[in-house]
Amino acid sequence: MVGPSGSGKSTLALAIAGLVPREIPGTISGSLRLDAAEIRSIDPPALASRVGIVFQDPASQLVMERVADDVAFGLENRGWPRERMVARVPESLAEVGLAGLELHRSTRLSGGQQQRLALAGVLAPQPRVLVLDEPTANLDPAGAAAFFARLAGLRASRSATIVLVEHRVDAAWPLADQVLALNGDGSPIDAGSPAEVLDRSRARMVEAGIWMPDEPARGRRRRLQTLGDTLVEAAGVGFGYDRRSPVVNDVDLALAAGERVALVGPNGSGKSTLGRLLVGLLAPQRGRVLMRGDDPSRLPAAELARRAGYVFQEPERQFLADRVADEVALGLRPDELALVADLMDRLRLPLETFGDRSPYRLSGGEQRRLSLACVLVRRPALLVLDEPTFGQDRLGHEALIAILDERLVSGTCVVAATHDERFVADVADRVIVVDRGRIVSDGPWQAAG
Amino acid sequence: MGPADISDATASSPLGRTSPIVKLVVALGWLIGLAFTTDPRPPVAIVVVAIASGVVLGRVEITRLIRTILPLGLAAIGIGAFNVLFSASNLDETATELARLGPLRITSAAVAGGLGLGLRVLAIASVGAVFSLTTDSTRLVDALAQQARVPERFAYGALAAYQAVPRFGEDLTTLRQARRVRGLRGSWHPRILVGLLILAIRHGDRLALAMDARAFGSGPRSRYRIVTWRPLDAVVAVGAVIVLVVALRLPAG
Repeated sequence: MVGPSGSGKSTLALAIAGLVPREIPGTISGSLRLDAAEIRSIDPPALASRVGIVFQDPASQLVMERVADDVAFGLENRGWPRERMVARVPESLAEVGLAGLELHRSTRLSGGQQQRLALAGVLAPQPRVLVLDEPTANLDPAGAAAFFARLAGLRASRSATIVLVEHRVDAAWPLADQVLALNGDGSPIDAGSPAEVLDRSRARMVEAGIWMPDEPARGRRRRLQTLGDTLVEAAGVGFGYDRRSPVVNDVDLALAAGERVALVGPNGSGKSTLGRLLVGLLAPQRGRVLMRGDDPSRLPAAELARRAGYVFQEPERQFLADRVADEVALGLRPDELALVADLMDRLRLPLETFGDRSPYRLSGGEQRRLSLACVLVRRPALLVLDEPTFGQDRLGHEALIAILDERLVSGTCVVAATHDERFVADVADRVIVVDRGRIVSDGPWQAAG
Repeated sequence: MGPADISDATASSPLGRTSPIVKLVVALGWLIGLAFTTDPRPPVAIVVVAIASGVVLGRVEITRLIRTILPLGLAAIGIGAFNVLFSASNLDETATELARLGPLRITSAAVAGGLGLGLRVLAIASVGAVFSLTTDSTRLVDALAQQARVPERFAYGALAAYQAVPRFGEDLTTLRQARRVRGLRGSWHPRILVGLLILAIRHGDRLALAMDARAFGSGPRSRYRIVTWRPLDAVVAVGAVIVLVVALRLPAG
């Protein structure tokens, strides 16, 4: 299932799993059937034993402390006899490549492993239909690749119908027997075999902003011939939330005005922490960070906001207002307020439509664009963006790139911590690879292979 | 405070294998028993027995045990000292004077009262620390559901929510940083508390949705982990009663 951000993909996925309108209020018109019965009229236990759903965020789907207990949880709820559970739990874990981790704590697993654990829990009761709502959105490329490898195995076994909502089209399209493309308003563009849909409706899908499977990265269009002077300097920086286990270690780094830097590395490698150190949201425990000669962690809030912007990985955690219009205008000076409407239009969140809505009620992709707007509207000299293209369709991706390109002239330095290889190719001049809190490589961007 | 990790050595130790319900009842029984005496010796005995059994029967590292007790232990000293200094008996002319701090008269009754109170707080801290460091939270919830017949929807819902406790700290940090980077001052602004509440509710909603999607609460559940009463539970219970009786009847002097 493909469609632009906010086209109702998740809502349709939830409806197939029977959670809309039962758990999330709403009205359904038309007919949605499973084995000829209306999904709405199937009682919850019967439906839950036939349909399983995996969500985006692994942390909010894992219930039990230990891996095997979590897989067994869904079976206990369905009243499986103990002998069958004891046999089935290791089997399901093996299906997702987590054999042998039965007694591990789920909180200690990597994001990719957690998501495969969520999949194991949903697969254990052998559902007829498996619904996956952007299951790899939070995963690094290695974690996503491992997840898709398991999905390919499931597809080959033909044991369940799989409904996959996914922005990573390069991995998803080859797995599909059928593609359903949705328009921005939630209406269907086309449905059919991938080849047919591409053939018939490519132009309309492109217009709607849907990623196409064979679309190459565009590459940098504009770059500065000479970079400006040094904006931020980190020397010997170390930081750990628990002093005994540092998350960032011995980082030396200089960022110049106008530079475009991608911070890449696996989940948990310290990219987000490094980003927060660079803008002074955290103070280093060892070494120092200087932003044009000042320690950014000691700058008054108003001064810091003039110099630097930071977009957090999870949009919901940075919202501070009840309306979209208030959120984007929060703390702005009058001259900056004048820029809001135009920026929101470009990010496809026009204030006429979105201004009165609650930030929490937006789709994941819309929330991401709102959080970007809140920071882009200020025009700070340093922008640190944590997963800026999370859940974005092609239009969102292009709008962001265009805005960042315009800021080149004024010498804005952009640092993006990201798993999105296309975004790196389209934006970055310099790629810094972080692993276990250390910079393991730092050099100009080069096309892979 | 997040979910406590208990080590494998502790999990396989006698106290680790004892039913959490027995440990809970023992802890409550001891603390109720201590309420009936002002004598400082029974709480000392309970502190010693609790720490010794945590180390010997629960194989908890002594340093970890002491680190856990320490914050409440310091509070115990504070509470004790406060009650010694500001006891009503210090004003009683007929009471035996023990010491004089400037204008403040300290009577022996005040010292006994303050000591008794402080030691009881210390006993609560020690018993609580041994309980939490020898009790796996999954086992606790299994025992609550299977042995104490607590409704499963409540027990397992609470366990799932407990896993999310560390999230609250991260939510708070991020909301404060989000204010700062947008030029707003005040890291305890009321809006942050509103944000925290919204995030907690939304996380709870998502978790509940995921649990319901996995058929939670849809009918009678079966059990993957069976908790049964064992002779060990009776041994611990009887031992605990003996400890309490002996502690309360310690010979004077």
